[in-house]
Amino acid sequence: MNWFTRGVRNAFRNAIRTTALVVIIGLSIGLALSMLIAYQAVSLKINNVKSSVDNTISIYPAGLRGFAGGGTPLTQNQLKSVSSQPHVTRLDETLSDRLTSSETNLQSSITAGSLGRRFAGNGFAGTGFTRNFNFTPPVTVNGTTDPTNLGSSSATTGGGSFTLMSGSVINGSSDADVAMVGSALATKNNLKVGSTFTAYNTTFTVSGIFSTGNKFGDNQLIMPLATVQRLSGQTGDVTAATAYIDSISNLASVTNKIKQILGSSADVTNSEQQAQTAVSSLQSIQTVSLYSLIGAVIAGAAIVLMSMVMIVRERRREIGIIKAMGSSNLRLFGQFMAEAVTLTLIASVAGIIIGGITSNSITKILVSNSSTSSNVRSGGPGGGFRFARHFGGLAAIRGDITGIHTAVGYGIIGYGLLAAVAIAIIGTAAATYFIAQVRPAEVMRVE
Amino acid sequence: MLKVKDLKRYFKSGDVIVKAVDGVSFEIPDGKFISIIGQSGSGKTSLLSMLGALDKPTGGVIDVDGSDITKLNGSNLNSYRASTIGFVFQSYNLVPNLTAIENVMLPMEFTKVAKAERLSRAKGLLAEVGLSEDQMVRKPGKLSGGQQQRVAIARALANKPKYILADEPTGNLDSDTGRKIFNLLHDLTKKENTTIIAVTHDLSIAGKTDKSFRLQDGKLVNFSQGKKTK
Repeated sequence: MNWFTRGVRNAFRNAIRTTALVVIIGLSIGLALSMLIAYQAVSLKINNVKSSVDNTISIYPAGLRGFAGGGTPLTQNQLKSVSSQPHVTRLDETLSDRLTSSETNLQSSITAGSLGRRFAGNGFAGTGFTRNFNFTPPVTVNGTTDPTNLGSSSATTGGGSFTLMSGSVINGSSDADVAMVGSALATKNNLKVGSTFTAYNTTFTVSGIFSTGNKFGDNQLIMPLATVQRLSGQTGDVTAATAYIDSISNLASVTNKIKQILGSSADVTNSEQQAQTAVSSLQSIQTVSLYSLIGAVIAGAAIVLMSMVMIVRERRREIGIIKAMGSSNLRLFGQFMAEAVTLTLIASVAGIIIGGITSNSITKILVSNSSTSSNVRSGGPGGGFRFARHFGGLAAIRGDITGIHTAVGYGIIGYGLLAAVAIAIIGTAAATYFIAQVRPAEVMRVE
Repeated sequence: MLKVKDLKRYFKSGDVIVKAVDGVSFEIPDGKFISIIGQSGSGKTSLLSMLGALDKPTGGVIDVDGSDITKLNGSNLNSYRASTIGFVFQSYNLVPNLTAIENVMLPMEFTKVAKAERLSRAKGLLAEVGLSEDQMVRKPGKLSGGQQQRVAIARALANKPKYILADEPTGNLDSDTGRKIFNLLHDLTKKENTTIIAVTHDLSIAGKTDKSFRLQDGKLVNFSQGKKTK
């Protein structure tokens, strides 16, 4: 038997003591591990939410969303100063309009239904506050500098992903009488690539057929911005713009700058603000789990440290005997290290099991408490289409928040083990060092 | 040859200086059985601890074969404890978690004796002090006081030390067992030419040793030559 086997065997010299130590150290390691796992899961979720956020800034005329609200259109001259700002890599501009049956020979692919008739009373049909039971939904026209990016005018296009089904994409910077037609609208009016239709008393050629994945988006026309401005008599006007920023870290500063430039004439929002609202509850969970983690680590370290100090102190006499036999302090260190590491490793295994079992529950408790107390605000139907879509988006993110699942990775296990063993070694080394300085006669005299 | 010159060990107890050993000097030739007698608190154990390098003296010299052990430290001190000295304590001081044979093997680990030799020498020594095979693999808690003291003596002899320091080796034993232990130590002196210095308050034992010192209040007040106490 050498110092190592003696140390390992000493870890099991008293079953009650060993069990008690393993339980108490295991619980503290398990608690710290649970908090670490919860913290990492929440941090990962926050990063995922943030990374899913576009680095874009949405600009609308003040008080206007889609075809609801009011206000005065922005002008391209106003927006020139926005596009020249540092960190703005691109600016997409959109002018949205709606074509009545007298302005086009196209028929809408959407039937009004009770909602359409209800909203028509306050909207486009222009019949005051009475409901218009003969209302037919109009065909939406989007003049845009970026024909493939539906997100830049999602308030009017309904968002969705742009998929060109046939033909070609129009040139957004041209002034030609060409259009891309939504698939539902094309089907309703038997349009194909190369077909013609009439709008604004002008004959348009179908350049392409596209799909957005939603009925609203597929019932619209996309034309070059300048064409819509010219034919609708709104030269230089813009109803929506999207500024693209080089980095998400510059999003807030550029948003503030654009707000300063456009003043009260525009509503300027960025996607980070929306995400920030969504992740605010997650951040409070992250803070709670961080403080809990720090507390658990300090408590765990103190428990491991004190346990090792007690183990060494209760064996002062034994240390004296071994020193009297001629042992070096180094051998004594080795023996007690082996004992401490053995105990800690067993306790760590227990701690990892405890942490693995409890981490998901702890995280869920934290999340459910935070979700019920947090106030994730979202717009309602009165805010228009865009707010309605935000509501859906935030609800989805919120769903993600409550859907956090923890996972115990090998990295966490490795770090946890290393930390526990390191604390045990430090505690044992410190205690053994001080006791090993004692002369054997001093400790052996104590009976 | 062991020479002790003006050895002192003072303790501070509050504002009072306790002179446990106060200027003791003597010489012990090799292969002798020496006893140190005195009342409780006379400084016997303190003297023995300093001779075994378990404690540092306040002053004086302990010359062991030409080397002052009061100046030893580090590996030299460990080596002296492991190789030159064997200790037998009144309360045995066996390591409770080790079996009798493992206790005897322990000091040999510090002198780097090979494992197989450790085992065989430990078995031989335990057999020599009268332990059966069955008793050898018992932990100290499962042995009687006399058996534990035999294990302690075997452990003290493990590294074939030149000096055995025995602190009240029969103090916790009944008179019959005590006599047997004394005889065991005495036989060893003769057989191995080992110098034994035994602290005792048992005058009958002291009377059978080659030399006897009497300590009183830390001072050597009496000295006997031969197997007769003054």
